[in-house]
Amino acid sequence: MKRSILRSIGIKVLVFVVSLLILSAAVFCVARLAPGDPLVSYYGDRVEKMSPQERAWAEDKLGLNDPLTVQYVRWLERAVQGDFGISYQYKMPVTEVIAQRMGNTLLLGGVGLLLIFGGALLLGSFCAWQEDRWPDRLLCRAGTLLSCIPEFWLSLLLILVFAMGIRWLPSSGAYSIGGEGNVGDRLVHLILPLTVVVLSHLWYYAYLVRNRLLEEVRADYVLLARVKGLPRRAVLFRHCLRSAMPTYLSILAISIPHVLGGTYIVETVFSYPGLGTLSYESARYQDYNLLMVLCLLSGAVVMLCNLAAQAINERIDPRIRGERSGMEQEVRTP
Amino acid sequence: MEPVLEVRHLTVQFHTPSGTVQAVRDVSFSLHKGEVLAIVGESGCGKSVLCRSILKLLPDTARLPSGTILVNGVDITGYGEREMTKLRGKLFSMVFQDPMTALDPTMTIGAQIAEAVRVHQPRMGRDALRQRVLELMTLVGIERPAERMGLYPHNFSGGMRQRSVLAMALAGDPAILFADEPTTALDVTIQAQILDLLRQIQRQLGTATVFVTHDLGAVARVADRVAVMYAGKIVEIGTAEEVFYDPRHPYTWGLLQSLPVLSRGRETLPTIPGMPPDLLHPPKGDTFACRNPYALAIDYEEEPPLFPITETHFAATWLLDPRTPQVTPPVGGGLHG
Repeated sequence: MKRSILRSIGIKVLVFVVSLLILSAAVFCVARLAPGDPLVSYYGDRVEKMSPQERAWAEDKLGLNDPLTVQYVRWLERAVQGDFGISYQYKMPVTEVIAQRMGNTLLLGGVGLLLIFGGALLLGSFCAWQEDRWPDRLLCRAGTLLSCIPEFWLSLLLILVFAMGIRWLPSSGAYSIGGEGNVGDRLVHLILPLTVVVLSHLWYYAYLVRNRLLEEVRADYVLLARVKGLPRRAVLFRHCLRSAMPTYLSILAISIPHVLGGTYIVETVFSYPGLGTLSYESARYQDYNLLMVLCLLSGAVVMLCNLAAQAINERIDPRIRGERSGMEQEVRTP
Repeated sequence: MEPVLEVRHLTVQFHTPSGTVQAVRDVSFSLHKGEVLAIVGESGCGKSVLCRSILKLLPDTARLPSGTILVNGVDITGYGEREMTKLRGKLFSMVFQDPMTALDPTMTIGAQIAEAVRVHQPRMGRDALRQRVLELMTLVGIERPAERMGLYPHNFSGGMRQRSVLAMALAGDPAILFADEPTTALDVTIQAQILDLLRQIQRQLGTATVFVTHDLGAVARVADRVAVMYAGKIVEIGTAEEVFYDPRHPYTWGLLQSLPVLSRGRETLPTIPGMPPDLLHPPKGDTFACRNPYALAIDYEEEPPLFPITETHFAATWLLDPRTPQVTPPVGGGLHG
């Protein structure tokens, strides 16, 4: 038993590492094949005045003249030792650049996810409970409408109303100049981006919860639970929600990257100094080393979330977990 | 003696986009303490709807335009969801057709039985609760209950699951148990076990039981009284003896004739010709008329009332009208014949 667990963990780690390798190779090639001049991000406008000799020297210095494979192997060798190179644009180690921005994105994405997760669960359960009565119908219509609005457009709309129109909230950044340590100032800056992140994803998951619950409500075991004398609400929240949870959690885990992708767009629109804006810039300005790490980071998050989804499923649904132990028990009881 | 359950002129309709379905039409019956009443009929004749309408477990599209339901003399027809929740499990309970889907797959059997116990005795302590769960599991014939209460439904076989469902249904000591085709989804040997179990528990606890089935063999095994339903109506009702040995309704004749036991050695099994009527547009007159070889002209005009044959035996067929010429029934042949 113990050996089989170790084995399955080993396989998962192996798959994880191989996937990261493939991803890194793919991003490496695609980034370099894409049109654009990486020297611009390093030297700025000076590139335009460079002589061919200077250019060659500069390219040589950044290691861009070698064949792709050589470049990749060199990158890999260093990466394995923890050296991911420097950012062309920021002229400092990539890891440092990312570390500076990571907190902002984690804050936006993390709080956003929690709000989406909790809110969708509440909203979905409420709709299921009120099935086909007016609150449910109203929410269904409003939600569908809301989730169809693209993030960037909603962002612009909110900026227009709350930042330009009534001037209650700041339109960009993570804090006012000089207000880095001020918690209140941070929160005020977070409101608009967070609203967009939550609003644009909330209904999708709430609707999922609602429909999953309604599917469960029609199951036979609900009838039995009600025959036992449980009130409808108790059946809904105790039995149905529990049965719906594995699906919800696993879909949620899988969709974390999706939500993060949303925050990337929102970050860009609100010029919020997080990984989103950083990724966008690094891709736009051919900041190869930075782009590599950001892509690998996103890729790792996606894969870890999928693994988490699987683990959650196994943990909650005894049928998946029990595949093996259940059979043993069945054999034990003649 | 006052009946535990009395249903008077109950009608159940479903409002669907294509019209109103008359699922149960003017059904009256009573159930006494410690009695097993079997409701027999083909699929779709309204047996299950009848049970569920008494427990008020029908979907929102269902309406009860007429009828009264009396439980221990109390009219519960107008009860709302809150009052019904208090009655369910305690006053009446139900066992379903498919034990494969009737249990919550994510909860252990023990926890699900415990939940049923706790609904009615919320203050019960941990040890007492455990004791009660073990007691219930023993009652329904689950061996080594202490070991098995921690298992999940998917660890159980169909028969064991049906026993667990029964344990949950009995947790609140209900006065009336509805068994809605409890053996249909099980294989034959298990069917007999579950039927015997039902009968044994019913004798032990004195629970009045409404046993819904389309299996006349099962009826003979457990029922005290039998009600035959056709197209949402009770067409014949009487003691098991009366219905089996002195059936009066042509539909009951047809049902009994199609029992495989009665055509042993023959090439084919007798069947009732035709199909049950569409309850969305029930035909005029007797709904069974078009399948009835003994149909009279009046059958196509007017629905027959329930004619009394004895004090306990009633049948709804014009054949019992004194003006109708005598017909020799193809089956039965007298109570003591």
